Amino acid sequence: MTKEERLKKRHRSEKRFRFYGLASILVALLFVVILVQNIFSKGSSAFKKTVITTEIFFDQDLLEIQNGASQEEIMEADFYDVMIENLIKAYPAKDRAEEDELLKLFSGDAEIEIKKAFLKDNDLLGKTITLDLTASDDIDQLHKGNYPRDLPEERRRISDFQLVIYDYFVENKKISKNFNNYFFNNGDSRDPELAGIGGALVGSFYSILICLLLAFPVAVLASIYLEEFAPKNKITDFIEININNLAAVPSIVYGLLALQILLATIQLPRSTPLVAGITLALMTLPRIIIPCRASLKAVPPSIREGALAVGASKFQSVFHHVVPLALPGTLSGTIIGLAQALGETAPLILIGMVAFVVDIPSSPVDPSSSLPVQVYLWSESAERGFVEKTSATIMMLLSFLIVMNFIAVYLRQKFEKRWN
Amino acid sequence: MNNIKIKSKNLNVYYGDKQALFDVNLDLNEKEVTALIGPSGCGKSTFIRCINRMNDVIDICKVTGNIEMDGMNINDKDLDVVSLRERVGMVFQKPNPFPKSIYDNISYGPKIHGKGETKSELDQIVENSLKKSALWEEVKDRLDEPGTSLSGGQQQRLCIARAISVNPEVILMDEPCSALDPIATAKIEELIDELKKTYTIVIVTHSMAQAVRVSQKTGFFHLGKLIEVGNTEKIFKNPDNKMTQDYITGRFG
Repeated sequence: MTKEERLKKRHRSEKRFRFYGLASILVALLFVVILVQNIFSKGSSAFKKTVITTEIFFDQDLLEIQNGASQEEIMEADFYDVMIENLIKAYPAKDRAEEDELLKLFSGDAEIEIKKAFLKDNDLLGKTITLDLTASDDIDQLHKGNYPRDLPEERRRISDFQLVIYDYFVENKKISKNFNNYFFNNGDSRDPELAGIGGALVGSFYSILICLLLAFPVAVLASIYLEEFAPKNKITDFIEININNLAAVPSIVYGLLALQILLATIQLPRSTPLVAGITLALMTLPRIIIPCRASLKAVPPSIREGALAVGASKFQSVFHHVVPLALPGTLSGTIIGLAQALGETAPLILIGMVAFVVDIPSSPVDPSSSLPVQVYLWSESAERGFVEKTSATIMMLLSFLIVMNFIAVYLRQKFEKRWN
Repeated sequence: MNNIKIKSKNLNVYYGDKQALFDVNLDLNEKEVTALIGPSGCGKSTFIRCINRMNDVIDICKVTGNIEMDGMNINDKDLDVVSLRERVGMVFQKPNPFPKSIYDNISYGPKIHGKGETKSELDQIVENSLKKSALWEEVKDRLDEPGTSLSGGQQQRLCIARAISVNPEVILMDEPCSALDPIATAKIEELIDELKKTYTIVIVTHSMAQAVRVSQKTGFFHLGKLIEVGNTEKIFKNPDNKMTQDYITGRFG
């Protein structure tokens, strides 16, 4: 082979390598785009809900309360008849059967919505107001265009007559889309139009908080001791290997451990953020210790020697110099560990967080759901309304993870000090 | 003739199975510069790190024999290394200022030793230390800038100021100029000349010329043994030992 040929061959192989690299990046990007596009196109409609504008007349005889009634009296009053009387006027129905079909277009919470409007303004007795009432899931999906209306009637959840009413609403501009406050404020529900991630958000928040409170101090102290104070011998080597192994243990194993120890032996309350937090802390501990030790190790020994040489004790050199320098790396490692914990599903399913919980937990010992488990629960539901809710929850989860990772990168770049 | 400040008797140092120093007997005079020369890995640095017990940091390091400062046994297991290092400062091969402000770099030592209770006392210590290390004029207007933003030579003088700040009796310098350019080196050498009026100085160096310029006494190490020690002038002009002669004339090393 001549010199020119060898040179050409070298250039060719470099070009080939560049092409492979570029191609793999493009393929990876393509997958990300497909994933994000899929989630967005399915989920973005969940942030809006369909409402039907209805006139409500608060009839004193039906409510059986007096003007100036107290909050308790209103809470106990029966709004059912008021609801029925007003809703059937929304469309000129001919008989009882048609009225029943009409009522099905409203969500199961219509009565509560009317009551809430009344509670807000005590002066409504004997008056008429217009109220945006949440539509049922079927109408919601139909209005958002997620539901094909050209199927034969027996394969549709909406009857032909309901479609007629719907068209009447659209024609009279009585139907519209509002911001979906239920999605953020409500707990889980059997009715997709009423289901929200409020409970899952609070549950996840409590779980991660407990995880942080338990895992962070233990992990930081363990790393500082192992890295700075512990003698280097077989025992510490053994501990180090095991920490690395624990970080690679499948998370479901931690779920089994928690099931046996926390629930069966110690008998902590099932399905609660408390148990979830402890389980996640166990799982996150080695995942925080590893980056924490790495950032301690990255502090150059000359800084330690400099401190020791002016007469700082070991403790002072570590806590005045090494730890502050390692802090940005430690914090970003912790945040990334917590982000992993936030997305963890398997161990939470084992400790019973997969239960159907309607109430929003008010403390870490109340039964609750969590964001990833909520995704899992809804993804198994058949109703179309839950499909968009699932994707929207994934969007929320992803945005939390992105924000957390962004904070981690920011902390590292902003506060990392340069030496030498 | 000055008093003897530090006296080592049959000092042996082991790193694990490997012996690094063999029966070193070396006396260091008060308020004088002693230079230690010798090829790489001959134990010069190991020796000066015995004086402020920096070898404690290395787990596998074991020191036997005697090393005394003003009659106090430095090698005593019960000795408090913190108070020892308050009396014996050290400057390292590579400048290693803390990644903090210039002011904090110098005030750190006095603070942890409880010197300079008030802000004005601390200010005074910082100013004096910087003046003694000939850095004051260059940095007096930017004391809150990070120490790492200075040039290499300035950083090394900052490290000298940091060592001075706790008012030690002895300053150990481990090749303080090896990472510096000739101009910065000249400045440090001038400074050493000035500092020897107040402090006992031990300097490890690879530069024969530097040893001649700054020191009064020179010790030559080879393979962990102290081969020869004496007045600098004598060592460089008329050494007793053939090996010393060969080393200073550049025949090996």
